[in-house]
Amino acid sequence: MFRVCQIQKRRYFDSMFLMRVTQRLRAEPGITEAAVVMGTPANVQILKELGFPEQELAQAGPDDLVVALAGEDEAQIRAALARLEEFLSGRSEEIKLAPKTLEQALAQFPEANIAVISLPGRYAGREAKRALEKGLNVFLFSSNVSLEEEIELKHLAQRKGLIVMGPDCGTAIVAGVGLGFANVVRRGPVGLIAASGTGAQEFTSLIHRAGSGISHAIGTGSRDFSDSVGGGTALSAFSALEADPKTEVIVFLAKPPGPGTLAKLAAEVRRAKKPVVACFLGIIPENIRREWPGKLVNLIDEAVIAALELLGHPVPDFLCLSETALRSLAKAERRKLGPNQHYVRGILAGGTFCYQAQLLFHLRGIPFRSNAPLSPEYALPNPLRSEGHTLLDMGDEFFTQGRLHPMIDPTLRVERILSDGSDPEVAVLLLDFVLGYNASPDPAGDLIPAIREVKALREKQGGHLIVVGSVCGTEGDPQDYTAQVRKLEEAGVLVFPTQAQAVKFILALLGG
Amino acid sequence: MEELSLFEKLLREGPKAVNLGLREFAQALEAQGIKVVHVDWSPPPPEAEELADILEKLL
Repeated sequence: MFRVCQIQKRRYFDSMFLMRVTQRLRAEPGITEAAVVMGTPANVQILKELGFPEQELAQAGPDDLVVALAGEDEAQIRAALARLEEFLSGRSEEIKLAPKTLEQALAQFPEANIAVISLPGRYAGREAKRALEKGLNVFLFSSNVSLEEEIELKHLAQRKGLIVMGPDCGTAIVAGVGLGFANVVRRGPVGLIAASGTGAQEFTSLIHRAGSGISHAIGTGSRDFSDSVGGGTALSAFSALEADPKTEVIVFLAKPPGPGTLAKLAAEVRRAKKPVVACFLGIIPENIRREWPGKLVNLIDEAVIAALELLGHPVPDFLCLSETALRSLAKAERRKLGPNQHYVRGILAGGTFCYQAQLLFHLRGIPFRSNAPLSPEYALPNPLRSEGHTLLDMGDEFFTQGRLHPMIDPTLRVERILSDGSDPEVAVLLLDFVLGYNASPDPAGDLIPAIREVKALREKQGGHLIVVGSVCGTEGDPQDYTAQVRKLEEAGVLVFPTQAQAVKFILALLGG
Repeated sequence: MEELSLFEKLLREGPKAVNLGLREFAQALEAQGIKVVHVDWSPPPPEAEELADILEKLL
């Protein structure tokens, strides 16, 4: 095997473009492994572990392009390298003529009112600050922006009457327009303020499928509700939605806030004229139960139902699947399992879905392990090896360093389905399928071959593998909710209308 | 009537975006009929970055 590494100094491309270049190189004759990545420490580490020459890799910095190729024949590797430039320059003329800086873009488009930023974290904060100084609101998708920078950006935004959604903001819907990972939902009376991206996607999709709609869904970023940030974005969003004529009910969706942030939010909610629902995902401490002045729930489905009820909108049957129905379905499935099949393996792309699953297991008193644990006692020592019931957040940093998010790149989830699904002690796989703008064009199709493979393997061994899933999205999404559900059902996946229901079904299975 | 803040104007008028980073984000906005200008961004040279840091501290 030949392994060749090439470093191109100070050459930057975004990660999605590089993923496509990598795929094209992998398809070249004789190439067994290929990676075209930016030379971040995580990427360099992965390449070293794959056996690429350390001496060359040591020269790479985060602003350098690293090309790594492996194959049986050196000449074929050289041939593939020769084609690299063609793939890298395969960007459209339009891109080559595009402005190179924020200032140039604003000269072309002075009416712009928002900057959408998904740059590497170490540059994103500075560009966000520049955007705010120029009077632009900011949607900051990038993570790895420091806490100090976040606080500074939020103070600056407040002084200028602007909003910073993020950092680490996956999803927003502004006046019916989706930013980042967002689903196609109708406009309507529900305003959402959410710290979690997939949480916001599930909530807005369910509101849509229930026949209602979203006025705006403002993302805050994952740290905003903590006392270190103090809820600056959540508070600005709340006062804007309170004043917004199209919003009739306001919903918060976040992990339980810190005590200082809770006090500020509660004071605003007490003064509010509109009804407010808080969905604080997690174990809600007593002080929050005591102090929160509005409706308080801890599952996404419950937040959807509460919002619909406050609006006087009918709650559709699909949101109210009874425990009895789940238990009788579980009973029928349990009969198919072998005597040694005990365990559940959640292999999830959505961080909130992993968190919500853990919460439901915890509330039912069933122990489990997770790489992104609800509380430290549930920590999984080695994220690469499942133990007992394991609920994995495959979008967690451990799995995404130097890679695209599993909502775009299914590679690691496929591998994990194949390994955990082949374990004879495993009874159930729990999966999620997230649709919408910027997600994979076919999330169901990405995983179905692996699902079919492990199901067939287990049947051959005289066992049975139950695969449980939920699809987050709407029929308006580019991937089409109905088509994705149908495809999964044809592959033998039990698809539930909401993620919480999928988990409750599994708990009914385990409950005996 | 109270003057709207720039954030409230964004909610009222909808996004008109400048996109820095993933090109796909700009394409998704275009697919929704939104005007967006994509910046073909690249990292500043290290000297420029250092200079920007120094200037920031001075100011």
